[in-house]
Amino acid sequence: MARLRVIFESGEPERVIEFSPSKAPFQHDGQPGSILDVLLGHGINLEHACGGNCACTTCHVIVKTGFNKLSEAEEREEDLLDRAPGLTPTSRLGCQAVIVDEDAEIVVVVPRYTINQQVAESR
Amino acid sequence: MNQRVTYTATIETIVEHSEDTRSLFLQLSAETRFSFTPGQFISIAIPLPNETRVRPYTLASSPEDGGPLEIVFNLVAGGAASEYLFRRRVGDRLSFTGPFGLFTLDRTPEIETIFAAEGTAIAPIRPMLRRALANAGSTPMRLFHAARTRRELLYAAEFEAAASRCPNFSFEPILAQPPAGWTGRSGDLREHIESIFVNGDDNRGRAFYLCGVGQGVIDLRDLLRKAGYPRRAVQYERW
Repeated sequence: MARLRVIFESGEPERVIEFSPSKAPFQHDGQPGSILDVLLGHGINLEHACGGNCACTTCHVIVKTGFNKLSEAEEREEDLLDRAPGLTPTSRLGCQAVIVDEDAEIVVVVPRYTINQQVAESR
Repeated sequence: MNQRVTYTATIETIVEHSEDTRSLFLQLSAETRFSFTPGQFISIAIPLPNETRVRPYTLASSPEDGGPLEIVFNLVAGGAASEYLFRRRVGDRLSFTGPFGLFTLDRTPEIETIFAAEGTAIAPIRPMLRRALANAGSTPMRLFHAARTRRELLYAAEFEAAASRCPNFSFEPILAQPPAGWTGRSGDLREHIESIFVNGDDNRGRAFYLCGVGQGVIDLRDLLRKAGYPRRAVQYERW
């Protein structure tokens, strides 16, 4: 079984999911077996404004453990990540980072801010 | 992350471009303020029997319009979201969040700029161009819009009008299935981009905004970047 631990900078309680990567997809959005797929499929919300299609950065996560247990980022993901606020060397888009190792131990942080967050003015 | 504002809009008008392509015009209440940058999308909540999915729709209207927000889309066979939107009627309401997206252009470019889109993926390019052409200037800009048939050249009249008004802008539609007597470009987008901007000269001082469905736009990106155009000069969005 793989383990995915998610820490939310927003202060929400952290969550741990145990799952089998070979059972992916767990739902419809993002790459099958991606961090987004695993989270949504286990009832944990991660923003994904573009539907998990690698067209925004709202699912940006920072990988603290297990970076090399994830699928490699393609150019399109890197192009978007370049513009994500709070970018780190181990940043990934949750919709594209696929957990491939059946015994992976992954820890990710969900940052508080994303570039796409807009303060809407609604009177 | 949890303070994201959800907007509710009423479908004010539906325009049928063809039997499987439509625009919906979404009207927000008079007191709601919503601003976006040309090229951005909204994320519409699609209520399905067992869940609500979120799907992105690029705004084809311009912030300058001040009127309803326009989304344009194809009916995708088996696509739950597009089928849901195709069943909507005038007066129905839709919920969305946004705007989102980094494929944007908010000013007149300073170097020659090439816009290229296929089919309904013209949506983000339309408000970008309007913004880019808002200031009279001499920066050359060219729009290549590829479609199967003339009918699928959405907003063609508008682009033609812009081209006759702005000497620095040219509209160059490309038809895969050109009608008899068509004197414009035909074939596929990639051929034209490659022959003009890769093989045509050694100038690599151009910027590109590309939008299309599927792998084609990624291939186009690779073609241009490998040909020597700087990475950041090749902006794209894959639908």
